[in-house]
Amino acid sequence: MAEAMAYSLSLSLLYLGLLCGNGLVSARGSELFTPDPSRGPHFTGCRSREQETFRCWWSTGTFQNLTEPGALRVFYQTKNALEWRECPDYTRTVENECYFNKTFTHIWTSYCIQLRSVPQNITYDDTCFTVENIVHPDPPIGLNWTLLNVSRSGLHFDVLVRWAPPPSADVQMGWMSLVYQVQYRVKNASHWEMLDLESGTQQSLYGLHTDKECEVRVRCKMLAFDNFGEFSDSIFVHVAQIPSKESTFPTTLVLIFGVIGVVILLVLLIFSQQQRLMVIFLPPIPAPKIKGIDPELLKNGKLDQLNSLLSSQDMYKPDFYHEDPWVEFIQLDLDDPAEKNESSDTQHLLGLSRSGSSHVLNFKSDDDSGRASCYDPELPNPEDLASLLPAHSGRGENHPLVSSSSPSIPDLGIQQTSEVEETPIQTQPAVHSWGNMDFYAQVSDFTPAGGVVLSPGQLNSSPEKKKEEENEKKIQLQLLSDGAYTSENTARQLDVPPSPGPEQGYHAFPTQAVEGNLWNGEYLVSAGDSQTPYLLPEAPPAPTLPPVSDYTVVQEVDAQHSLLLNPPSSQPALCPHTPNKHLPAMPTMPMGYLTPDLLGNLNP
Amino acid sequence: MGQMTGQMRDKVKEIFSNPLLLYSCLYFSLSLSFGSSLPPVAVLLVALLCLDPHGRVGSAPICTHGPSGCHVPSLADLFDRVIQHSARMHSLSNDLHSEFEQYFLPSKNHIGKIYRKCHTSNILTPNGKENAQKLAREELTEVILKLLMAWRDPLFQLHQSMAHQQDFNSFSSNKALEMGDMAHELRKGVEKVAEKMRVLGMLGNSVTGLSAAEAMLPISDSGEAMSDYELLYCFRRDSNKVQNYLKILKCRIVPEHDC
Repeated sequence: MAEAMAYSLSLSLLYLGLLCGNGLVSARGSELFTPDPSRGPHFTGCRSREQETFRCWWSTGTFQNLTEPGALRVFYQTKNALEWRECPDYTRTVENECYFNKTFTHIWTSYCIQLRSVPQNITYDDTCFTVENIVHPDPPIGLNWTLLNVSRSGLHFDVLVRWAPPPSADVQMGWMSLVYQVQYRVKNASHWEMLDLESGTQQSLYGLHTDKECEVRVRCKMLAFDNFGEFSDSIFVHVAQIPSKESTFPTTLVLIFGVIGVVILLVLLIFSQQQRLMVIFLPPIPAPKIKGIDPELLKNGKLDQLNSLLSSQDMYKPDFYHEDPWVEFIQLDLDDPAEKNESSDTQHLLGLSRSGSSHVLNFKSDDDSGRASCYDPELPNPEDLASLLPAHSGRGENHPLVSSSSPSIPDLGIQQTSEVEETPIQTQPAVHSWGNMDFYAQVSDFTPAGGVVLSPGQLNSSPEKKKEEENEKKIQLQLLSDGAYTSENTARQLDVPPSPGPEQGYHAFPTQAVEGNLWNGEYLVSAGDSQTPYLLPEAPPAPTLPPVSDYTVVQEVDAQHSLLLNPPSSQPALCPHTPNKHLPAMPTMPMGYLTPDLLGNLNP
Repeated sequence: MGQMTGQMRDKVKEIFSNPLLLYSCLYFSLSLSFGSSLPPVAVLLVALLCLDPHGRVGSAPICTHGPSGCHVPSLADLFDRVIQHSARMHSLSNDLHSEFEQYFLPSKNHIGKIYRKCHTSNILTPNGKENAQKLAREELTEVILKLLMAWRDPLFQLHQSMAHQQDFNSFSSNKALEMGDMAHELRKGVEKVAEKMRVLGMLGNSVTGLSAAEAMLPISDSGEAMSDYELLYCFRRDSNKVQNYLKILKCRIVPEHDC
């Protein structure tokens, strides 16, 4: 508690001391030249310039009736002589000033002065001081500046400012030891830059801006005292900026010309090396290239060359199955001959091909006994089947699509059977009899119209169907003429005699008609009894009928380059027109194709 | 041994006389004590700063080894040293007095208080420049010595009282201590100058027994011991007197410029 009080007391004392510090300073001698008009007569200040004499001033204040001289008088008192003496010298030239000369000035002596009005014996003001505390030195004289250096950029410079001490101050002897303070500012600025106290008579100023006028002034005070004197007259420091435009001008010109030159060089370079640059920047897109194949050959080459080329490629290996779709169907099913009797492929194919459908359905091969696995047996669409099926009203179980040996599609077969019985196909009535026919039929006769009359092959045709068969032949002929197995040319030239009968089987073509179309009649049929067909998908011929083979082997080639399937000695009636020119007997043909060397033998 | 301790004491006094130097030495010594990353160059610099008495005034003994290999300072140099020392002493006293005036309100009664009677008021001192110039050299020297002698004990008392009071920070009390030491050294220096002058025949033999000058007790009018503020006020005035007297004396004895 006591500590807190002491602390607060000290703080208050400090505060008061700070407040009254100014007053104390004034009591020590700093003058107040501005009279206070609100007050009565009072001292406005006392000053000493050189610590040898001093002056005091007063003002009358609000009392205007005391302006005449002598109304107010100054009395002073020193510590040495305690009697009050009057001012030794009232300055005549200056109003309200009391001057104390050297005689009356005692340094290190306390003075007290009073302002009195003698008639009324009133003391208006009094103050005490010591002389050394009221010393305000005169301003220094002879302030000048010299340029020290200018910065490299030419924007800043340094100056050295010099001055002389005030003449009134006796500094040679050291009666007054002065320190100086330099202040400077840019012209018309509000804030003065103050430098540290300098005991010498010169000061350097650094970092002044060129082209800016700088105002410099200096004042002094006694060392170890606090009263500054008045400022000296300001001097103006100005250094003009050295115009260095001519040094920058060529630089910009050089720069501009350099840039233009570089641009021109670049343009020339681009235009001269245009092609190479195009290749570099826009490379050509490589064309597709297949190894080993010349693109030009592909464009202009012949078909044979192309074939040879393409066949040499791995990716163009012929797909046998697709190239020769017939190969798939030439599949011997030798396990069930009885089965074959029921229905033959020819029946199937004929029945199917009549409607022009390209469906090649092989319903017999449902069991996987050695068949081609690549071919997936296509399940038939019921509608297609219905359209394809010939109307077999008379046949029950002998349905081309019904096979007792195909257990995998029993449902379909049964369905088809029912369909067939219910919906007879709106076709020619003789169509249904074709189901029992082979696919390949013998051309038995040619109609004048140019149609080919086929005779059915190894058929179990009953005699009552002969008429039907004749009609069938016509239709078959028309069908075959639509097919691709005999050309029209060949058909016209054929002069097929009337059909000898179904038991005769197939007839051979007149050999003279075969010219250059060796392979047109690819599947030549012969009526050779002893011949056995080499690629007969069906069973061997029925024992009841004389064996009629679907295929026969070319036995001879006569002089007219016609193929003789049966020598003329065996069937002379068939070929009356052909001159029996005996060619060299050919060796017995093996059952197969005509090989090229054998073909060579055919040529005379 | 006594001389060694005296030299060390003088060196220490030199360090303490300059506050900047004191604090720089303290900083470096602390850094060294904490083993901070001071390079050896800094250590050398510290040694040079703290231990080099170059530029110091008064405390270096004037050639005890004799004239061989020793630079004997001239009278002018001695006077310069002494004057510098007295100026420094006066500025110290001014600072202390200003601090006092900020913290302590003197009474408003100027007349009563302004006529403080300093204990040195009995000493007749010239009050002006002409008076001092008219005074004889011997008397002037004697006045200086008397003044300095008179302040030996009061300054010690001042330091003691300032150190004990908590109102002053350590900086002020150190200033007071330094001031006392400086007064002591100044007196020694002036005695040496006087000795030199006597040797050179500039002074007569009227200066007698100054070393045995009476020590005056600082007693005010009322018989009480003077307060610190009064001591400071008086010492400030007296130090200014000493400084000016020395300057006048130098100008009269050493003929230079246009004294």
